[in-house]
Amino acid sequence: MATKEELIEQLKNGVIEYEEDTVKVAAQQWLDDGYVALEGIMDGLAAGMEVVGDLYEKNEYFVPEVLMCADALYLGLDILRPHVPKKEGEVNAQVVIGSIQGDVHDIGKNLVKMMFDVAGWDVHDLGRDVPLESFVEEQLRTDAEVVAMSAMMTTTMLGMKKVIAMIKEKNPNVGIMLGGAPVTKDVANLFGADGYAESAGNAVTEGIKMIGRLREMQSK
Amino acid sequence: MAELSPIERVTRFFNREPVDTMPFFTGMGMVLAPAIKKLGYNFPSIHRESAEKLAWAGIESARMFNLDSIVIPFDMCWESEALGNKISLYEESEDILYPTIPEKNWTELDQVEITQERIDTIMDQYPMTLIPEAIKICKKEAPELPVGAWQLGPFTQCGQTIELDKVLKGVFKQKEKVAEILDSFTDMIIEIGKGLQAAGADFITLREPGVAADLLSPKTFKEVIKPRLTRILSGWKSPKVLHICGSTDPLVEMMWECVTDSGGQAISFDIKNNLLESRKKLGDDAIILGNYDVFGLPCAEETTVEMAIEGIKTNIDGLVDAVWPGCDLWPDIKEENFRAMEKTAREYKTGPTPAVGRI
Repeated sequence: MATKEELIEQLKNGVIEYEEDTVKVAAQQWLDDGYVALEGIMDGLAAGMEVVGDLYEKNEYFVPEVLMCADALYLGLDILRPHVPKKEGEVNAQVVIGSIQGDVHDIGKNLVKMMFDVAGWDVHDLGRDVPLESFVEEQLRTDAEVVAMSAMMTTTMLGMKKVIAMIKEKNPNVGIMLGGAPVTKDVANLFGADGYAESAGNAVTEGIKMIGRLREMQSK
Repeated sequence: MAELSPIERVTRFFNREPVDTMPFFTGMGMVLAPAIKKLGYNFPSIHRESAEKLAWAGIESARMFNLDSIVIPFDMCWESEALGNKISLYEESEDILYPTIPEKNWTELDQVEITQERIDTIMDQYPMTLIPEAIKICKKEAPELPVGAWQLGPFTQCGQTIELDKVLKGVFKQKEKVAEILDSFTDMIIEIGKGLQAAGADFITLREPGVAADLLSPKTFKEVIKPRLTRILSGWKSPKVLHICGSTDPLVEMMWECVTDSGGQAISFDIKNNLLESRKKLGDDAIILGNYDVFGLPCAEETTVEMAIEGIKTNIDGLVDAVWPGCDLWPDIKEENFRAMEKTAREYKTGPTPAVGRI
């Protein structure tokens, strides 16, 4: 029978090595042995994804590997997440996320979504090819703290500027995160965004850094 | 002072014969909003309504801004539509939105089936039939302008018919199936390119944006992508150009091998490439194109004419052999910026470029 430390290693390495079955079995075992689900997510799955981020930065992993790691992570998350208790009166942070109208690419968006999922946010995923007004309507409906938009092509990037203006006009405190190949730091600044990731890969790096910070906060 | 017509200039350029002035052209999507406005067309109508509209949108875009080429077509959904997928033209949108494939018929790699018959008859399928027709109109109505055609590479084209994440993961999880699919697309792309050239396209660009080094490893590029790109380029007549978007610095030499091994002429990069390094790696024999920012220079609200001019000077100082954008030109250009960019391309440096001399 695996020890707690061994299960953590299995969760972590299962994500790194994109071994879906290992992650599934270890996550279930973790629950069966009565360990705290959130600890399994943060010290196992999320810690594994941090290593994946390092491997990506070192050009040892590329997007296909990261996508396979994400699949493994989600399998573990699906098992563990329902067992994370919600404190009374506690409201999860919320994010509205989607690929902008005219863009049917969603790899980057899905990787950023993963980051929010791991962090325990309530994610309102609008999907892809999302009409501009839908971002505004969903933010107002949910009162989400963050709106995250992605565009893979220059040809759709300009829609982001309109969405930001519409959202900020109604609620200036909403954080706006942009991502996608054509989005540069300058573009994000010009459009009035609060953060950006320039590519799916960069989204991974940025997202995983955020997971790392969340893990630090969790351990305090 | 320009002495050559655009078609003479571009033809000589690809033959590495001296030209009169720096070519200012592209082989990737190029339709400009002021031109289609002048024609009275709206953006969604130019793509599929008729070969005439497709052709005239291209012709007027080139003529209005003194570009050295027409490029047909403009969007990336033709082949996927011909294979049975529905496209969205965004006819209700007030914004400029290119057609997309919102939902793909094939959801898993195992469903993908591209028979030899499908490949052999692809150019007979709507909407592919419109493109050769449009090319012929361009050749008749604008004989002074060369027509550039283009095709997506097999990996990117695969992502237009099945979700790209499935393909990316399939490279590892379903190697044989991915190889089989990529081979079928390779055959199809060769066939389409031949059809476009037979219709009169004067040069052709193979674009494979889905394989940049920030997506796939150079190892995967070498083993999976490079042989197929070489095979496609080998199947086409010259002149032919290879373009890859995104991070290309680690791929430069392999890209150039694709070009030289297939008897091709030029290589093109987007904004992320370190041009001077690429020139160092490839030497002065390589015709290097691309790299200027298609949004920042001609379109961004904040970019002044002076900034646009500086951008083109930087591009030329990066030792390109022609001023050619890093990607599809964004239609909604600021006219004054784009005209200044063209003028700068012609006048900034009048001497030879590394690979092409001057008359």
